[in-house]
Amino acid sequence: MNTDNDYVIETQALSKRYGQKLALDNLDLAIPRGRIHAIVGANGAGKSTLFRVLLGFLPQTSGQARILGRDSQKLNPDDRSRIGFVNEEHTVTGWLKVAQVVAMQRQQYRRWQQEIFDQVIGHYHVLPQQKVSQLSRGERAGLNLALALAQRPELLVLDEPTLGLDVVAKRAFLESLMYSNTSDDCTVIYCSHQMEEIERVADNLIILERGRLMNMSAPEDFTARVSHWVADAPFKGPDPRSLPGLLERQQIDGLQHYIVLDQGDDFAQFLRQSGARNVHSMPVSLDRAVNAFLSKNHAVPAAAA
Amino acid sequence: MARPHALMIQIAAGDPRPIGKQIVDAVRMKIATGELLPGDQLPSVRGLAQQLTINPNTVAKAYAELTAEGWLEARQGLGLYVAVPRQRLSEGERERRLDEAVGRFINDVLPLDYPPDEVQARIAHEFQQLAPRKIA
Repeated sequence: MNTDNDYVIETQALSKRYGQKLALDNLDLAIPRGRIHAIVGANGAGKSTLFRVLLGFLPQTSGQARILGRDSQKLNPDDRSRIGFVNEEHTVTGWLKVAQVVAMQRQQYRRWQQEIFDQVIGHYHVLPQQKVSQLSRGERAGLNLALALAQRPELLVLDEPTLGLDVVAKRAFLESLMYSNTSDDCTVIYCSHQMEEIERVADNLIILERGRLMNMSAPEDFTARVSHWVADAPFKGPDPRSLPGLLERQQIDGLQHYIVLDQGDDFAQFLRQSGARNVHSMPVSLDRAVNAFLSKNHAVPAAAA
Repeated sequence: MARPHALMIQIAAGDPRPIGKQIVDAVRMKIATGELLPGDQLPSVRGLAQQLTINPNTVAKAYAELTAEGWLEARQGLGLYVAVPRQRLSEGERERRLDEAVGRFINDVLPLDYPPDEVQARIAHEFQQLAPRKIA
């Protein structure tokens, strides 16, 4: 055991290649122990590949990957019992009854705490004699989270855990995660596309793009780097390639709208020099900021580029 | 045992202000309008987090900022309370903030092309709306 390690996840120059495509590109990522870390990225940014490598389900092409201080490719059952994983499909063996699943998990995990399971599952109408296949998606999500938390993992990885849940089930899920006392000593990695949820939940925002780390900071610090400018620059405005920090550009009713990264008053100056008479700027929401950031390099059909 | 004063605030998704800032603004506003009075106890960090379905660390940071600015005070082992008002900012800082706020306001309002006396009347009206509660 290596509990004095400061990082729950640590990769160095980690790459994973599928044929021609680099899913992870020399990724250096160090996630400190404790708190809730959100990972966002466009589809294909490498999140799923990263977790498959970290959990030892896939070998990397090159580089280092460590989880809870252990080499990902050399995890033993004891290491795995310190890691909880809830995926978006909420896969649990369908033909088993809930009570049987619980009995199996209790056997498997030394640190299992029945009270935690009971407390979390109490948010859902799940009966011990029900078959897993009879549960709704939301109930399966609740069961999965209860199982993962009762295992008392040091690291809990949640991959799109609330996808497809109704508002009540979603809220119950977030409450179990944040206020149940059960996850206090647990580091949570939260993969999601839902910014509203991330804003509520995350202490730290990690953005991956094309297998590379693009941001690691508190969500509000990231939002503060992005601003929305509107200018009445003549014609089509300055050459987009000359615009510093440009993430997204739109022409609406003859006005140029720019969403830019890390630009201050200099940007207003720049727009004025390009012929704009009126220049306004405003802050953006986290959703808008992440959206613009990811859209910069998002795939578009060749005709639209 | 006194209970915490209910904190009737809401946070809006999609607001450009981060959630922590929305809490700070809302609490300041409630103190300024007298809806929260000196000596009122605030909800616990966990309690407010749960009320708003947000991360408790976000509430803790907002409370820390409000405490540092002198709006709230901690009583050992009891929680956070609305502090007795005093001028929380230096004269220079007060003036700087007023300048900044007025500048921002003028910037926003000027392009709307209202006559100045109409704008002033609106502001006076808004202040009047706040005033009764401050006295009550």
